[in-house]
Amino acid sequence: MASQERFFVRRVAVLGAGVMGAQIAAHLVNAGVEAVLFDLTAKEGDPNGIALKAIEGLRKLEPSPLATATVADAITVANYDQHLDRLAGCDLVIEAIAERMEWKRQLYERIAPHIGSEAIIASNTSGLSINALAQALPAQLRARFCGIHFFNPPRYMHLVEIIPATGSDAAMLDRLETFLTTALGKGVIRAKDTPNFIANRVGVFSILAAFHHTRALGLGFDEVDALTGPLIGRPKSATYRTADVVGLDTLGHVIDTMKSGLPDDPWARYYDAPDWFKGLVDRGALGQKAKAGVYRKQGKEIQVLDLAKGDYRTSGKEAVEEVVAILKNKDPAARLAQLRASQLPQAKFMWAVTRDMLHYCAVQLESIADNARDVDLAIRWGFGWREGPFELWQAAGWQQVAGWIAEEIAAGKTMAAAPLPAWVTDSGRTGVHTPAGAWSPARREYRPRSSLPVYRRQAVPDRVLGEAANLGTTVFETDAVRTWTTGDDIAVVSFKSKMHSIGEDVLDGVMQAIDEAERGFRGLVIWQTEPPFSIGANLAGPSAPRKEGPKPSGFASMMKKVKRSAESAVLKAAHKLNVADALMAGRLEKVEGVVQQFQATSLALRYSSVPTIAAVDGMALGGGCEFVMHCDRAVASLESYIGLVEVGVGLIPAGGGCKEFAIRAAAEAKGGDIFPFLRRYFEAAATAQVARSAEHAREMGFLRATDRVVMNRFELLHVAKAEVVALSEAGYRPPLPARRIPVAGRSAAATIKAHLTNLLAGNHISDHDYLIGSSLATAMTGGDLDPGSLVDEEWLLELERETFMALLATEKTQARIEQMLKTGKPLRN
Amino acid sequence: MANKQVQDAYIVSAVRTPVGKAPRGMFRNTRPDDLLAHVLVQAARRVPSLDLKSVDDAIVGCAIPEAEQGINVARIGLLLAGFPNTIAGLTVNRFCASGLQAVALAADRIRLGEADVMIAGGTESMSLIPMGGNKLAFNEAIFEKDANLGIAYGMGITAEKVAQQWKVTREAQDAFAVASHEKALAGIANGDFRDEIAPYEIVDHVPDLATHQVQVKKREASVDEGPRAGTNLETLAKLRPAFAASGSVTAGNSSQTSDGAGAVILVSEAALKRFSLTPLARFAGFAVAGVPPEIMGIGPIAAVPKALKQTGLKLEDLDWIELNEAFAAQSLAVIRDLGLDPTKINPLGGAIALGHPLGATGAIRTATIVHGLRRRKQKYGMVTMCVGTGMGAAGVFEAL
Repeated sequence: MASQERFFVRRVAVLGAGVMGAQIAAHLVNAGVEAVLFDLTAKEGDPNGIALKAIEGLRKLEPSPLATATVADAITVANYDQHLDRLAGCDLVIEAIAERMEWKRQLYERIAPHIGSEAIIASNTSGLSINALAQALPAQLRARFCGIHFFNPPRYMHLVEIIPATGSDAAMLDRLETFLTTALGKGVIRAKDTPNFIANRVGVFSILAAFHHTRALGLGFDEVDALTGPLIGRPKSATYRTADVVGLDTLGHVIDTMKSGLPDDPWARYYDAPDWFKGLVDRGALGQKAKAGVYRKQGKEIQVLDLAKGDYRTSGKEAVEEVVAILKNKDPAARLAQLRASQLPQAKFMWAVTRDMLHYCAVQLESIADNARDVDLAIRWGFGWREGPFELWQAAGWQQVAGWIAEEIAAGKTMAAAPLPAWVTDSGRTGVHTPAGAWSPARREYRPRSSLPVYRRQAVPDRVLGEAANLGTTVFETDAVRTWTTGDDIAVVSFKSKMHSIGEDVLDGVMQAIDEAERGFRGLVIWQTEPPFSIGANLAGPSAPRKEGPKPSGFASMMKKVKRSAESAVLKAAHKLNVADALMAGRLEKVEGVVQQFQATSLALRYSSVPTIAAVDGMALGGGCEFVMHCDRAVASLESYIGLVEVGVGLIPAGGGCKEFAIRAAAEAKGGDIFPFLRRYFEAAATAQVARSAEHAREMGFLRATDRVVMNRFELLHVAKAEVVALSEAGYRPPLPARRIPVAGRSAAATIKAHLTNLLAGNHISDHDYLIGSSLATAMTGGDLDPGSLVDEEWLLELERETFMALLATEKTQARIEQMLKTGKPLRN
Repeated sequence: MANKQVQDAYIVSAVRTPVGKAPRGMFRNTRPDDLLAHVLVQAARRVPSLDLKSVDDAIVGCAIPEAEQGINVARIGLLLAGFPNTIAGLTVNRFCASGLQAVALAADRIRLGEADVMIAGGTESMSLIPMGGNKLAFNEAIFEKDANLGIAYGMGITAEKVAQQWKVTREAQDAFAVASHEKALAGIANGDFRDEIAPYEIVDHVPDLATHQVQVKKREASVDEGPRAGTNLETLAKLRPAFAASGSVTAGNSSQTSDGAGAVILVSEAALKRFSLTPLARFAGFAVAGVPPEIMGIGPIAAVPKALKQTGLKLEDLDWIELNEAFAAQSLAVIRDLGLDPTKINPLGGAIALGHPLGATGAIRTATIVHGLRRRKQKYGMVTMCVGTGMGAAGVFEAL
């Protein structure tokens, strides 16, 4: 079968070094794919000036499109006048120039003679018709052409829509989907060639519906954002702030695409930007990039446009308590019923936008997508919603909700009068997601998931409502962990604690899992059913079982994670160090016992008779990081944020982290001076730095050269198991105990202290910071020893444990922990 | 004559390289031993009648004598320069006063009557050798006594402490820095540095990845790289404190890190006659003094009076003072405490504009003052500086 032929993409050409083109190129090199970034020849200076400038721009963007600072060096720059011959060496050509049919047509004519005979050509258009674009290509290239729609920012947004043209070769589409999924880590949805495809069609309609009902009910934009954000499982930017972030001009273009492409649509009259919106665009208030849009910042105050006032006012209108209570109702049926019944304007708004969105999706499903799953996943992956529209509908009771919508269509309350499609009320229908698959109106059948071989790598893919995860059979289960297997002789341990924090019970569970793995399995994988990997140690006692559902996996949580600076990572450490109880009761010995147990577990992961693999996705902080450092291998998704953040609450890593850095520095020094190697490790821990990607974590030394980075988080478990097999097949033996470790010793500690002395004298740090820093220095340099003294692992573990306990005994560290627990904010003392 | 000596030491040649900015300036890849060899050759070339075989010793200052400027860079420089191998070489280190110390030590050999021809100099690459050296390794014992914490302090912190204790404002520091740039730029425009600078041919070796050839690029460096046109109070006011969280010392009112070298040739009266040499200046005297390490910037306050006493001169006798501008804060504290006449200080700008290649600065500024005094037909000049870990140094020259 052609689609199973090996298709290797060595090099990709990206045409157009705009915001999307440059970021797509960045993500390609993040994934180890060579990228050639083309743009027009610069009129002055370096002919590749435009592309060069775009690459410089990548370095300044936040959150960073680049996995590491150096990866951008792998993007080569080119221009259409000098370098078209380079296209011949590219396996994939992604066109991402401005959305002008004529420009694209001209470019296609120009590049067509240079495209390799097997290469795929794809347009990243978000608006133009793929079939119309295909016509601009010479006939012999059309079979290798399709749409490939990335979402901004492409590194972080999981969704890529593939839009086949009529003549697109099926095998080519499969190859492309495979590449995007496994090599770039994206979630691929096949969309039909209709205006704005799937995610933008639904997502933009949802914004237009909000525009309409905001005005109709006289609500404030800030009020609507308070309602349509995290309260309903959507990004914090909610509705209007999302418009600002995207750019009102860009959003305007997307709306125009619907206006011009869907003149006969029942909602056609809403496919137009409202007057206030056009007014903002006309004045250049284009949103975030123009520093003014729906919102603006005046001094320190955030202001929002007020339609009644015709001017900006202080932003800050909240959702009213009663509506918040309704929206927090975990039962979707009751929630929608209450919203519908309420006379509060905010509740009426929420019901109206939900109703119209569901109505819209039901009517459009057949024309825009193959099936309901594709719509739900597209909106989740492309817009960061926690649940898709059909999932919500089905969860709330399909027929009940359908009845309400039909009733309100009849009553003329809905935005459009189009009736619900007949399939909605098929007899016996309880939804669109069933064990047999997701409903496809066009085919009038339930469609199973894609059988493309690449999806075999996703043992536990992202699921839609009602889809069960294949989490195998339980080996043993406690309140804190579940250890399971799928019959492949590999044990997997997953934590059940909140944010996968590590308490005594988790430590017990991991120990037991190691025991079980040693007895009857080829190896052990630590893998969580969703991110984070672990936010670290919880020294208080039994870990509270997780109360909340999984976090939204899309944009919102991604942005949050990536933007998290060292300081706010420290904030997270708050929850990890639930030592307050123990402290208050004066049970320091108990804490020491837990620390000892933690270290023992780290060592057990290192020295077990079977390979241990940490499968990391999302945050791995503090004790979570220390587990990662002690497993034989880490297999980390690119979006892993790893760091030792203990200093934020006045402590140092004591689950083997200091010891591990001391050993790694000694090994890297290869008999030479240890300090230069130790220094950066010290800095990472002393400033609670959290890596901004798995590759960054490797640069920082949390991950080793032998650890694997996986682009697609849903392939983590597959790759982790493959590592178990590889290590096991290679005749795995645990490493020999480290008994002669040279340490940097007292003069290295003194040199660090000299640096801290300057920070203290310059008022950059407090006396207590100085104490924490010098304690960390002592723990990492081996204590008061001559440089190069040889110690064993136990020496270093005892030292970090004692240093940890000494800090824990100080009033100021206790005050830091207490404040963090009470307020969630770090204390500088 | 101001004071009595066994015999006098006369400077007959004084040259320096232009000063490059570190770590990314014109000399970023130029080795300090090459810079030294260059100034040695150029110093000798200016006194062609001198038989180099008569040179007794060469003393070279270097503040961080390791790596590219290690293993006795004085001797290496002499050999690289192609000088007779009969000339011995000594590298000395008194941090920022190393170059001046080298001149004083060389003069002393003559003044003692044990040598007739000496070479002195200084060289430093702050591009290639980091401040504090490639391996910082402090003694744990310094933390046992508060008075010794100053050993650990970076120079910027000591400047902050001086600014605090001497109440030197940010505005005063910035104004001082602006003046330094203005004077230096005027000096360059006026050709005032032409006598002392021996232009250096920089040779870069860069790969041409297209042709796989080594490209050898040559360019001449003849002007100091540090002075920045357009430096004004507004631009400096925007800079954030570089060392203390709410301090006043910034990158703009501190000396620049730099690369450079300087060399002088000193002879006895007998040698003057033997080789028919014209003296440029007489070495009049030198003193050093210690101060608390944490306020090292005030070093000249202790050293200048000592040097004046030794030479029997009064402050008023000095026509020109090269006060090394490690920081505007310490410069202003020194000027105020000693009651120095600001019009006599750094008429061609100082280290804030011209740069401060640590151990080379003393030799470089000796070249500046020796030529400057003659050009202006002035008589007495002083080169003084503060020194890390709490010292000051001052040397006095009499133009002839």
